[in-house]
Amino acid sequence: MSDPSTTPTKRERREAARAERQERESAAAAADTRRKRLLTLLGLLGAAVVIVVVAIVISSGGSSDKPTPAASSGGDVAGVAETKALIGGIPQSGITLGKADAPVTIVEFADPQCPFCKEYTLNEMPAVVKQYVRTGKAKMELRYLTFIGPDSVTAAQALQGAAPQSRFWEASDLFYRNQGEENSGYVTDDFLKGILTGAGADATKALAAGSSSAVAEQLGEAKTLASRYGVDSTPTILVGPTGGELKKDTESAPTAAGIGKLVDAAAAKGGT
Amino acid sequence: MSDRALRTAGLVLAVLGVGIAGYLVYVHYADIDPVCNIAHGCHKVQTSDYAELAGIPVALLGLIGYVVILGALVAPGEAARMVAALTALVGFGFSMYLTYRELFTIDAICQWCVGSAILMTGLAGVCTWRLLREPDTMVA
Repeated sequence: MSDPSTTPTKRERREAARAERQERESAAAAADTRRKRLLTLLGLLGAAVVIVVVAIVISSGGSSDKPTPAASSGGDVAGVAETKALIGGIPQSGITLGKADAPVTIVEFADPQCPFCKEYTLNEMPAVVKQYVRTGKAKMELRYLTFIGPDSVTAAQALQGAAPQSRFWEASDLFYRNQGEENSGYVTDDFLKGILTGAGADATKALAAGSSSAVAEQLGEAKTLASRYGVDSTPTILVGPTGGELKKDTESAPTAAGIGKLVDAAAAKGGT
Repeated sequence: MSDRALRTAGLVLAVLGVGIAGYLVYVHYADIDPVCNIAHGCHKVQTSDYAELAGIPVALLGLIGYVVILGALVAPGEAARMVAALTALVGFGFSMYLTYRELFTIDAICQWCVGSAILMTGLAGVCTWRLLREPDTMVA
């Protein structure tokens, strides 16, 4: 038996049915909106992936392109004008840049592939060259160590091969300006020809000289000297009175200011 | 979390991002080293091959991205939500790529870039969340 007081009236049943239908429609509309939003998100994710991939391709391409101009066009390398502006007009002999009778000697130990050596060469060395080498207060020697890998050996030999033509410093500076990824095999003959030609050297002669016993001896001397002064990383700078004992620059990374202090101290010690 | 709270969080992140990217753009064009507590990391990253994209400083692209997100967060409507989410997702993806390059190619860490990557990750989360929110709880 049903209780008449709890039995819904016809009107109540209609209203309940309408409310139920509205709820269903509302839920369906919400589900539809959610589906649309998810589809929108998927579309945005797809678009974002495409944009990021294109950016990565451009970024990676741009970075790997930098060392290749030398390889492709022999001499068309980046930074030729900057190198000439930095080194041009300064006397050089073998691995030494500056006047032979300069009272102070700055010795740099570097690896051609070492990125920190590139940083030093591009950011700190120019001030040292300008303030101390051009003015005749100091001369610089660059001694190559080749511990990073086979590309270091190939590069160091070719660069040292430019020394008899008095183009060692231009070639080294230009090499750092076009330095590639460590041990990626970028130090090819074509690449080196581009660097050497850009430095103003006869590339064929320099490459031939690089494989001579004289260059092998110079690289051996660098190792011996490095061992004597306890050089275990690059770049390492030693400074001292010409012909005298050298003192190591103990900065975590060499700076023009730090080297300047050592040069001033060495000059004072040398009585100049 | 309400849409208002999400939008406020996004605005805070975007403003911080504009600050970091703006600072990096400034040091790029002023040709000075950024303040960096991690030895030489910022200088190395900022002068690396990956600091520019098609000749445009990445810091400038980041600044533009943060400004677009900021504008899209302020503007009302569905289209603005989509622009904010798309820009933040692109920024997040490219930030991840640059962080990978820092760790495995450049071999240096720039604290400003890491900070920006964290902000962009937060923005990608906030903007995506706003886009996916239940329609009936959205506040215009």
